[in-house]
Amino acid sequence: MSTRRKRRSIFEIIREHVEELEAFADELIESALVERPSWDLQSCCLEPLCSVFVSTDEVIVTADLPNIDPQNIKVEAVGEDLIEITAKMKRKVHFEDFGITHRQGEFSAFRCQTRIPMPVNIKQMKTQFKRGILEVHLPRRKDYRIRVE
Amino acid sequence: MSAVVKVVEKKAIPSDAIMLYGLPDVGLVGLIATSYIISELDFPEIAYVDSDLLPPVVVLHNGLPHAPLRIYGGKNLIATISEMPVSEAALYPVMRTLVDWGRSKKVRMVISMGGMPVQNRQDIKEPKVFGAASNKDLVDFLHKKKLNILEQGYMVGPQALTMRFCAEKNIPAIALLAQSFYNYPDPEAAAAVIREVTKIADIKVDVSDLLDKGEEIRLRARDIMKRTQRELTQMKKSQEYDLPYVM
Repeated sequence: MSTRRKRRSIFEIIREHVEELEAFADELIESALVERPSWDLQSCCLEPLCSVFVSTDEVIVTADLPNIDPQNIKVEAVGEDLIEITAKMKRKVHFEDFGITHRQGEFSAFRCQTRIPMPVNIKQMKTQFKRGILEVHLPRRKDYRIRVE
Repeated sequence: MSAVVKVVEKKAIPSDAIMLYGLPDVGLVGLIATSYIISELDFPEIAYVDSDLLPPVVVLHNGLPHAPLRIYGGKNLIATISEMPVSEAALYPVMRTLVDWGRSKKVRMVISMGGMPVQNRQDIKEPKVFGAASNKDLVDFLHKKKLNILEQGYMVGPQALTMRFCAEKNIPAIALLAQSFYNYPDPEAAAAVIREVTKIADIKVDVSDLLDKGEEIRLRARDIMKRTQRELTQMKKSQEYDLPYVM
């Protein structure tokens, strides 16, 4: 009896790839749809509203940070494509401040991690805080240039 | 389709009133502005919107259940707010029903308040307010009130439909849009819109408390802003940045 493996057809290979892609897409959708609270009692942190904007020269991450003094904001690079924003609040916030009496807990800081969608020079990161909004400017890495003939 | 949405009245509805709309949209400008007006004028809840198209949500206030999409009213004013964003799927029937209901109550004008996202919002100290209107006379009226007019461009979302349905039904309608953040709650923009509303609706509302409580409002409004942002993406709100083709 021959032990030679049967060659797979091109259609089988395509179908396998499509299935892999579908599974990946499902995973992405699921991770995006999983709902979690915007607060974490263990770390006493609230998650701020954040946005990422990509321009031709830089990636700009912004975060809405009410109840914050700018000197208490910390922005750290966590690897090449992830930054962490932490900001200690001027005064602690309790669930009761939101009119919620069925939960107990207090929050003393904002914290979030934001993934940078494209290569940047993370060491050249610059920050500014204006009208309660933190702006983190990350210059985009330009490793190559295509010459136009 | 409109039959699946109904307005349930709880109290007498003022007639010949001005109807304000403040549904969640960019910067939550309309919602913040309308909620503040309701609170300052101490209006009671007079009706709410019920529909199978809306999520199974009830909002508890002082231990009592309320529909998220509610209507408040006083002497000569009716104000609609929603404590959750209205999804793209529900927006058409909900707005059509609200406009039809307003017409049945003989509202004399509709004013919808909202934000107009600008990228350099951090650099703007006093947001400008722009107006759009459902007919030529109202555009002239806005000119007389020295309001900046939205001459060309796209409107997307609750205000777009309010304008469209009001124009269809011949209800005078104005949209007031303040320069605002796109996805951060913007109490300053809400205050700017209220200042303009007071000139049109003949009401007195002092916005200093709203400005003083700006940080608190931004803190409280994070979750509804996040949900609103998702709906805005669904309804392709970013089309408002597009340049119109036909002049």
